[in-house]
Parts: sequence; C-alpha cells; structure tokens
Amino acid sequence: MDSQPEPKDSQPKPKDSQPEPKDSQLEPVIYICGDCRKEIPVKPGDAVQCRECGYRILYKKRTSRIIQYEAR
Amino acid sequence: MSETASLNMQDIPQGQLPEHIELQRARVFCKADAPVHTEDVEYSGAYAAVGFDNSLQVDDFRRDFRVEIKNLSMDDIEFDMIGIDASLANAFRRILIAEVPTMAIEKVLIVNNTSVMADEILSHRLGLLPIEADPRLFDFLSENDTPNERNTIVFKMEVHCKKRGPRLTVKSDQLKWLPNGSELLMESPNPSTKPRSFTSFSCSQASLPQISGRPIGMKHLDIIITQLGPGQSIELEAHAVKGTGKVHAKWSPVGTTWYRMLPEVKLLKEVRGNDAEKLVKKCPRKVFDVEDVGHAMKKAVVSRPRDCTLCRECISGAGEENIALRRVRDHFIFTVESTGALPAEVLFTEAVKILEEKCERVISELS
Repeated sequence: MDSQPEPKDSQPKPKDSQPEPKDSQLEPVIYICGDCRKEIPVKPGDAVQCRECGYRILYKKRTSRIIQYEAR
Repeated sequence: MSETASLNMQDIPQGQLPEHIELQRARVFCKADAPVHTEDVEYSGAYAAVGFDNSLQVDDFRRDFRVEIKNLSMDDIEFDMIGIDASLANAFRRILIAEVPTMAIEKVLIVNNTSVMADEILSHRLGLLPIEADPRLFDFLSENDTPNERNTIVFKMEVHCKKRGPRLTVKSDQLKWLPNGSELLMESPNPSTKPRSFTSFSCSQASLPQISGRPIGMKHLDIIITQLGPGQSIELEAHAVKGTGKVHAKWSPVGTTWYRMLPEVKLLKEVRGNDAEKLVKKCPRKVFDVEDVGHAMKKAVVSRPRDCTLCRECISGAGEENIALRRVRDHFIFTVESTGALPAEVLFTEAVKILEEKCERVISELS
C-alpha cells in the first residue's frame, strides 16, 4: 500500500511562501555572453539571453576575490 | 687473472690476499650473463685466516681517500670519489636529491586568469620554475610563522594579450620580483580596520646586505608558462618559500645526480690482427684502439676504459675469454647537475654538511 503520495504538483508552493524581495533596486548580476563576450546585467526574471546578439549561453564572471592556490 | 690449480698456488706473504681473492674483494666482475661478486665484504675478520686485516680504520681512510674533479661548469660537476664505500656515496646522492633545500614558489594568489589554462595547472607550473636565490640566506617558513623578508620571496605577474592581435607566449621573465613583499591586500571581515597585505616585510629584501649584490630572479628567463589568446589576461602573485625535495620535487636542487663505479677493462690475452679490428668495431663506446707493433702486426689496446658503459658487447660471442670487464668497488664517478640555485660544487659540500649534522645528532642521542 502506498501511504506516501509523491508531492508532484506541490512544487510552486514554497515559491509563494518565500519572502520575495520587493526591492527592485536589487543589484543585477553581470554575466558574460558566450558568443560576443559582452557583459550583460541580468535581473531575476530576465530572459537568459544576450541583448546584443541573442546568444542564449551566458557565463558567470570570476569572483573579485583573490584565490590562493598551492603550487603543487 | 689466470686459473691456477689450488695445489700449484704460489706462497704469498703473510698479511696479503692471493691475487684472485683480492680481485673479488676490490672488484665487481661483469660476466656476459650477469655481474658476480657484487656484494661488499664488510666483516673486519673475513680474511683473518690468511692474516689479512679487513677492518676499516679512520686513519687509513684519511690517508687513502681522494677526490678528483674531472669536469666543472656553471651548473654541472663530474668528480671521482676514491676510497669510499657505496653506502656513503649513495647517502650523498640521496641527500642531494631530497634534503638540500632550495627556494620554490609554494603559494600562488590569483587575482585574474582568463587564459585557457586552469588556475591549478598554472600554479603547478609556476611551482616548478627554478629560482636564482641562495637558500642559505632564508629561513624555513613554519605553519604559524608570518611570511616576512627572511622566509618569503614574492613575485608578481601581470600579462595581457591585446585584442585583435597575435597570441602571446607567457615566459618566466614575466615574473617580477617584489623586494618589498606582497602588494595585494587581504580581505578583512571588519571594514573599519586597516587592510593588511599577505606578507609583513619589515624592510626591503633588496636592502639586505647578502641579497643587495645579487638580485633575486628566475634562473631561466625563457621557460614557457602558458599562452594567451587575444583579450585574455593573467594577474597573480607568487610566493616562494624554502623547502626540501622530500616534500616536493620542485625543491630538489638537482636535475638529477648519479654515480657509477669506475669501469676496468683488461685484455687477458693479446688480441692481434683481424680479431683486434673486430674488437674495436664491436665496442659502441670506442673503448679499444688498434696499435701497430711493427712487422705489419696489429694489436688491440684498451685506451678509454672510463667511457665503458659495461654494455658487455665485447664479451658476448667469440673472444669472450680474452677480456675481463670489472668495476672498481671503491671508486665512484659522481655527477651533479644543479638546477641553478647554487653551483653544483657548493651543493655537494652542502650535502656533506647535512650528513655531518645527522651524524652529530646520532652521536648526541647515543651519548
């Protein structure tokens, strides 16, 4: 007997319950276009697409922090 | 050495070994299939029955030990150590490879790297670059030490390849020495405090009296590190510290170092005429020569036994019984190839000092 039904359709629920930041001044994350290498600011809800060339693969920028490696 | 029946052997004076036993003691024999009499006779009383003293006396060693330098260049040395045991020769070799310290890049702080080479690979390649800095002027950096001018050398690399230009090959000359220490600032959790740099140098390394005469840099300026495509760039800082080869091979002061026993090639019978010509041709190292003995007769002589690699080509096939290939057991041809931090002859004396220190440690432990 299956006593635990899979909660397949309950996916959108947590989205509603989460405190959505109303502040639209949220800093957009800057991505780099995989085709033309332009920097594109992307806000939540924006299409994942380059505004210049329409390419749909965007790359995240490298961290501004210094990364330390062991030379071995 | 000729074969003699035991009953026909000559009398030998007390305190000496018969010829064939002496050869077994002092030489390794190379037969066509395998070497024989390879093991050292260490026991002092091994030949007590014939009155021969096999003990090793310090005074005898002092009198008989010799070092002959055969070849010395900027980074290489070849010399003979005569009258020493294989265990000591091997100790020097192992110390040279694994225990003589040098400086090598250990920490790489990468600010930006848009090249195709991953940060880890780039760091690894930087670590292997030989640095021209006397390791004796520096201290080891322990875990709790702060990097300072006595234990760290800082290099900076900032390269950029122009857009719409050709590819750029990044070579080791792009690493620039920073005698004042790191120029990068640590991210501090409290923004009000003054940010600290990754090193705390109290003075410029260039002002230290031992270093000022000979600026620190890369040993070779033409080692290829990576390549940059148009628009790619690398910005990083590399911190070199003192270390030894047993931790990582990048700290090994030698490319390699090795020894071989002196080859001894003896003609047991005279090799004449056609056979002599054949023998000269057989040897790939040209150990033999043909000598004119008059009356249109030719004879083979051993002219360059040192070049012999003991390939045993001359004792395979016909004529095997005419030649004896041996190695002198206490004569070592030692070669040191330095990677450049110190000259090869200095490296060897450093190795001797390290072995001396170890012996003193054992003595103080025992007493």
